Amino acid sequence: MSELAIRRGAAPALAVEGLSYSYPSASTRGRDGTAKRALANVSLEVAPGEFVLLAGRSASGKSTLLKAACGLVPHFHGGEIEGEVRVADFDALAAGPGELAAAVGYLAQDPETQVVSTTVAAEIELPLEMRGDAPADRARAVEEVALALAIPHLLDRAVDTLSGGELQRVALAAALVSRPRLILLDEPTSQLDPVAGDELIWLLRRLNEEWGVAVLLAEHRLERCLAAADRVVAMESGAIAFDGEPSDFLRWSHENDAALSTPAARLFSLAGLTPLPVGVRDARQTLRGTGIAHPPHIASRRMRDPRPTEPVLEAKGLWVELDRGEDVRDVLRGIDLELRPGERVALMGRNGAGKSTLLRGAAGLHEPVAGKLSVGSIALLTQNPSDYLVRERVGDELPGDEGSAALRVVGLEHAIDADPRDLSGGERQRLALAIALAGRMEGEQLPSVVALDEPTRGMDRARKEDLVALIEQLAGGVDFLSHSESKATRPAAVVVATHDVEFAAAFAERVVLLGEGVVIADGPMGEILSGGWYFATEVARVLDLPEVVTPEQGAAVLREELG
Amino acid sequence: MRSSFAYKPRRAPLQDASPGAAVAYLGAIVCVAFLYLNPLVLLAAGAAAALAGVLAGARAAVRAALKMGLSLALLVTVVNALATSRGETVVARLGDWPLLGRVDVTLEAIVAGLSYGLVAAVSIVAAAVYSACVDPDRVLRALRPLAGRSALTATLVSRLVPVAAADAARLRDAATLRGPGAAPVGKAPLARRLLAGSLDRAVDVAATLELRGYSLDTLRAGNRRRRSRYDRRSRYDRRFYAIAAVVLAAAIAGKLAGADDFQAYPTVDIGFGPATIAVAAVVALSGLAPLRRGPNRQIQPADGTKRLSRGDKSSRRRLGVDRSARRRGVARV
Repeated sequence: MSELAIRRGAAPALAVEGLSYSYPSASTRGRDGTAKRALANVSLEVAPGEFVLLAGRSASGKSTLLKAACGLVPHFHGGEIEGEVRVADFDALAAGPGELAAAVGYLAQDPETQVVSTTVAAEIELPLEMRGDAPADRARAVEEVALALAIPHLLDRAVDTLSGGELQRVALAAALVSRPRLILLDEPTSQLDPVAGDELIWLLRRLNEEWGVAVLLAEHRLERCLAAADRVVAMESGAIAFDGEPSDFLRWSHENDAALSTPAARLFSLAGLTPLPVGVRDARQTLRGTGIAHPPHIASRRMRDPRPTEPVLEAKGLWVELDRGEDVRDVLRGIDLELRPGERVALMGRNGAGKSTLLRGAAGLHEPVAGKLSVGSIALLTQNPSDYLVRERVGDELPGDEGSAALRVVGLEHAIDADPRDLSGGERQRLALAIALAGRMEGEQLPSVVALDEPTRGMDRARKEDLVALIEQLAGGVDFLSHSESKATRPAAVVVATHDVEFAAAFAERVVLLGEGVVIADGPMGEILSGGWYFATEVARVLDLPEVVTPEQGAAVLREELG
Repeated sequence: MRSSFAYKPRRAPLQDASPGAAVAYLGAIVCVAFLYLNPLVLLAAGAAAALAGVLAGARAAVRAALKMGLSLALLVTVVNALATSRGETVVARLGDWPLLGRVDVTLEAIVAGLSYGLVAAVSIVAAAVYSACVDPDRVLRALRPLAGRSALTATLVSRLVPVAAADAARLRDAATLRGPGAAPVGKAPLARRLLAGSLDRAVDVAATLELRGYSLDTLRAGNRRRRSRYDRRSRYDRRFYAIAAVVLAAAIAGKLAGADDFQAYPTVDIGFGPATIAVAAVVALSGLAPLRRGPNRQIQPADGTKRLSRGDKSSRRRLGVDRSARRRGVARV
């Protein structure tokens, strides 16, 4: 088929027929030694200019499907493959990723490993140079894509000076510079704050509408992108379980897999309202139709008085500066904060607001340049739990009684002989937390503060619910060790730095919002997460009521209004 | 944290110059250091390299390189003083040492060691200025038509080095954060973990290179050799080539005219004749080559964040930050 026909949209942007695939790695083999199939008889077609959302739990095959569409599977990863994959009339199983790059762009989760040049301009220009385009064409294409993604001011910057959001945009620009007909994105917002994440999704929608680029986007936080999608494909155990419009997908997920439902859909479902909304705008329209466009404001509950206990973490006028070679930057600027035992606190704010620095400062990794910081024992789990795992047996990581006690706290005492690499993602995270806890417990008492830095990256909702349960246990100081002689009774203050507002609404009772190194809001979770736009839950944006942030709270208000 | 030696784009003559011009200029200074042992000329070459770096905005790189270079110069001086007993002016008699035998420290050995050390220090400062001011992408692009595979390897390495450094920093932090009851992290498990992580990273970077088309053998590959907008010739190229030529010519002519008048043994004899002074002056003045009218402009972050340089006291005052006062107020319980 001619290039013109492809450009006019005669050929599908992506056509997958009967695709089955198994990775070659031993870690993906079953107990009987046979390779587990990452994809099982997948058939899918994406039309030119279509925006398709790929949903599914972790390890359901989303990433593998994207890699098959850009040629990394099987050309780069190897493995066994059957079926047919055509990308804008290229045979993806015959052509390599380099040849497919003219027709398809790919953006992965971690922008750090997606840049290979020193400066932004060189990075964006690289695919065109490799393709052999003339210098004038390259210059024009770089300029145009930079303008489209609003990054011309970054062209002369070094890539290692960019923020995560900027780096993700640069990687997107490099994927788009050859004007592909299809762009594949694998959880591109998982490391971005809500502002940058929303910006990226709407940027994709604009490219989709104005450039006619077909989009295939894999995401866990569906509420963020469902409204932008034309169609949803849900995957389950390597196969397609659903393929249809977003509104139909919500009905399907409600009946088949509630973990894939969005907060607004759960709100409507709990309140007995139909149809289930695909976004905030849709939900508001439906509510207007039912005559409850402005539900009554419920009385605002005051933040309860501080617990009558001594703070376990106290920061007064805390300044921390970070030295980045030639630049010294004040990352925390006079922070005042107190945490008390049993508090569940979400630390939120944009990328670079100082959340991680505050936690790292509390754990002693950064020395303050001014102010007072008083903290009891603290266990900090950083953003990459794998960094804590250096041995090949769980019991070797955590020897002795203190290790066993820590394993019991996280519920992994049964896995003492397992290889950490064989554990699931959630179990590895728990093991890393146990490593941070070990020896910091007084007897079998928890440390004063347990801090988690961005623990939900790449997590599906089911795993987030497990994490919420663990946080509640830690903050409740409840009976982790019921089968041992002593019991943990002292609750820990749990502080979690997160971009995930829905997760914060699920676990936190208090939210501290940081902006440019200062505390810009500190109050009850319901108050903070219902009083804004970016740092607000989907339910809060639908109902716009103070302290109504979860589907359960919203449904209670709606049921009352509906009588 | 970024290395002080990492390339940082700036709108300054040395950064704007093509890699060939920058290499010719800095290479000429290094050549002087290898041609001469006269301390005056070597000091002039060191001053030129440091001045060039400062004028190009690579203050941190120059500072770090001076620390390294002068430490190395000191080490060379000490070793030479202990290992060489030549020279007539004994400044210390240290008696009999194992392996070295009788050790007499002479002024001549100290001066000779200092001279060798200065050669190393000048080379280190010039290399640091090159590293901080010359865009490695442009160098690699220039090399790619000549040695494609080497350029690919260099690309991978140049990308993986900072990524591996960041990984190592994260692993060190995680090791620090392990509870006292967890097994301590020995160097071997940490190194194994870093190596495994680096391999994973290398696979990711290699996948990105595949997606960017690095493996393509396109028919229009000739275009790869043509300059892109970002490889443009600079209006400063002539300046750097001309100064490199002048420095080399002066150094060679001076050498022939006896400007490298230096003798360490048996007594120190350092020449300060007109030829030596002239060569030193030309070399030192060459450090002004990266000078431009008006201040150097560093490309600022777009997020509006104000980055303060260590010495920017006026900025700190504007922001109401008195660092020394804050330091006095630090307390950690």
